[in-house]
Amino acid sequence: MPIVLLCNLVPVAQSVGVNRIVPTISIPYPLGNPATSMEEQYKLRYQVVETALKALTTPITEPCVFKV
Amino acid sequence: MKKVLHYINQFFAGIGGEDQADHKPELREGVVGPGLALNTLLQHGQVTHTLICGDNYMSSNTEQAVQEILELIKDIDFDLLIAGPAFQAGRYGVACGTIGKAILQHRQIPVLTSMHCENPGVEMFREFFPIFKGGNGAAKMKADLKSLAAYADKIFTGEKLLSAEEEGYFGRGIRHQVWLDPPVTASTRGVEMLIKKLNGQPYQTELVIPQKDLVPIAQPIADLSQAKIALLTTGGIVPVDNPDHIQSASATRWGRYRIDQMERLKSGEFKTIHAGFDPAAADEDPNRILPLDVMQAFLHEGKIGALHPYFYSTVGTGTTQREASRMGHEIYEHLAEDKVDGALLVAT
Amino acid sequence: MELQIGKFYVKDVVFGETLSFRDGVLTINKTEALAFLRQDPHITDCDIVIAKPGEKKRIVPIKEAAEARVRLDGQCLFPGVTGELHRCGEGRIHALKNMSILGVGKHWGSFGDGLVDMWGEGQKYTLFGQLINVCLVIDTDEEFERYEQQKKNHAIRMAVHRFAEFLGASVKSLEPEEITSYVMGPMRLRPPEVEALPSVVLVMQPQSQMEEMGYNDLVYGWDLNHFVPTYMHPNEILDGALISGSFMPSSSKWSTYDFQNFAHIKALYQEHGKTLNFLGVILSNLNVSMEQKERSALFVAKLAKSLGADGALVTEEGYGNPDADYILCLRALEDEGIKTVGVSNECTGRDGASQPLVTLDTKADALVSTGNVSQMIELEPADEVIGELAALGRDGLSGGWADDDILGPSVRADGSIIMENNAMFCGDGISGWSVKTMKEF
Repeated sequence: MPIVLLCNLVPVAQSVGVNRIVPTISIPYPLGNPATSMEEQYKLRYQVVETALKALTTPITEPCVFKV
Repeated sequence: MKKVLHYINQFFAGIGGEDQADHKPELREGVVGPGLALNTLLQHGQVTHTLICGDNYMSSNTEQAVQEILELIKDIDFDLLIAGPAFQAGRYGVACGTIGKAILQHRQIPVLTSMHCENPGVEMFREFFPIFKGGNGAAKMKADLKSLAAYADKIFTGEKLLSAEEEGYFGRGIRHQVWLDPPVTASTRGVEMLIKKLNGQPYQTELVIPQKDLVPIAQPIADLSQAKIALLTTGGIVPVDNPDHIQSASATRWGRYRIDQMERLKSGEFKTIHAGFDPAAADEDPNRILPLDVMQAFLHEGKIGALHPYFYSTVGTGTTQREASRMGHEIYEHLAEDKVDGALLVAT
Repeated sequence: MELQIGKFYVKDVVFGETLSFRDGVLTINKTEALAFLRQDPHITDCDIVIAKPGEKKRIVPIKEAAEARVRLDGQCLFPGVTGELHRCGEGRIHALKNMSILGVGKHWGSFGDGLVDMWGEGQKYTLFGQLINVCLVIDTDEEFERYEQQKKNHAIRMAVHRFAEFLGASVKSLEPEEITSYVMGPMRLRPPEVEALPSVVLVMQPQSQMEEMGYNDLVYGWDLNHFVPTYMHPNEILDGALISGSFMPSSSKWSTYDFQNFAHIKALYQEHGKTLNFLGVILSNLNVSMEQKERSALFVAKLAKSLGADGALVTEEGYGNPDADYILCLRALEDEGIKTVGVSNECTGRDGASQPLVTLDTKADALVSTGNVSQMIELEPADEVIGELAALGRDGLSGGWADDDILGPSVRADGSIIMENNAMFCGDGISGWSVKTMKEF
């Protein structure tokens, strides 16, 4: 079963051997910057999670970072 | 006097070589073969029983052999298992490791063995118990038994156990803090190391960076619109009363919470209990960590086929890899049961 | 720049008529001292308790520590914090040695607070067990954070800084037993025999991960979250330019006392002109987003290269995700051809089997390890607790817990405790004084 790790500390994920990684924007608020409007946060979250869903369907042969 | 159970193969029991390697597990009272020398070296314990098994029998019927051995010893008391020494004998080394691991797990009794560094048993079993750095053949029998007996006596008397390097066994990948004697401060050590490195002189780092583990890559989902997706987080999102008492750091617990009747996680109903970062943003809007709102949107749009009705949460700060791996396996059971096709794990 | 520190070795601290220092004895007029502390209207309750090495006393929850000092030129000790801005690192200060001032919650603890034992098994876990501690046991009106796990602890921490000046006044006009001089001129045009030595910078990564102001370490009163790395003269650090914050799990913390006595700076001064050419300090920080972490690493490497450093000692105030900042910084320096040594603690878990740092890079090939944050520690009851013992289990201190399925509560009914090293006040001595290391078993 494929799993995608959405995280800010990409090197941490890489160093423990995660295969599908999607970067998020920060540690305390990975999917929505409180300094922006709720609409913008939702849009960003939609994009990041969409990228992660795409990563679930993408064949890979080595650990891979899927950038938003 | 503490009691030692000794494990040896058919060869060292004097039963025979390759022709007898299918010898079935057998328990004898007292010492057999190298156990005699072991007993003279041990000061605070003695070998009371000897377990014997043929190397082939163990390698080709592992599960059965282990069961038989556990059955044989179920009524005897002992304080320590010493297996081998196995030198460079591959099957013997693996047998010592296999039986050591089984006894450690089922009886919670400490285990010691000894192997040569090229014995495949070293890499397979070094993480479980001390494997002393042994010789490549039986000519080193006395020296190898001596290290085993000395360490066994230390365990029996409660003497302070030193690091793997100082004691002479292969490190188990377990790192603990120790006080330097004589005390040398970190600043002195750091500056000395830097001067050596700058001058091209040899130095010893205090933390050797280990090689990373590789996880096999999972097959992708063929059709997302038919797939059932689950949401997980290590960001500590829980109902505000934290019903499963998940710890804020060094977590050993996880929880799962129903989300199939919600369009989004509401502030005041969910919050984070993760102590490793400022919780303000997540408490104000938990979807910033657990993106339920957009997952529901993807579901309505038909992008995904279904959403697993629970999300799973724990805290990923100070959490040991062992606990994390256990929790991962436990959570996977639930996902597999519901035939989940893929998962998104949000880390903080 | 020359900084002279006149030292007064304190053998005892007692309460008496007037604030004074004579023959190694510091006398404090308690009434006067309490009145001074109470000048801050946020302090609602306050006591001063003295704890000496060997006494069966346990202090918890500790939020901050500082060394009592006075500047002979009359300026404040901590510019931008206890007084107006002025440049640190020059001139003469007098310091009360062998003692520290501890800021202790009368009731309430928080995530970054720590514990000190003054006797027995627990004493060895922190340097502060070997110092005479003047404990300010305080309650405040900071209701907004009373039940928060993360607290700014502003009033208590500021009380420590102000009280450092208050006690320091006792030795202003006295002749010190010893004077240590820290002298370092400009980096350019040093004597040829010094120039011939390999040149070295110290890279400091103090804690600055809270995005709301009031929790982070400060430089001249400025929050290090809003900061890109810059050059500092080492004397500035030794002379009050940096103030400790209120966030990091305690054993990884650098208190203000640590900054005032930063052991890595002292060790580099010791070798300056003999085996190396100490260029000074690159002050960096610790961040919460990858881009911020990368930006700081980039600035550090750029500065080190421009300064002509051959080597760098890098040290972080923290563990966990700060390891990413630490390893990034080491790698960025190595990529510039600058040889590095890193100093940090590890988090290998209670069983010792976890990955020691959150990120790893084989370029970090020279590391000093100062302890394991998650080592389990069990300690007997104290005769006297300064502060409130319950805080360890109740208030979310990083090394304590209310209850545990297997281990039971951190604080037991008989006053004995079980905790992680995490809550030992500055216990991992990453600022350089740790005599612990990590070994494989």
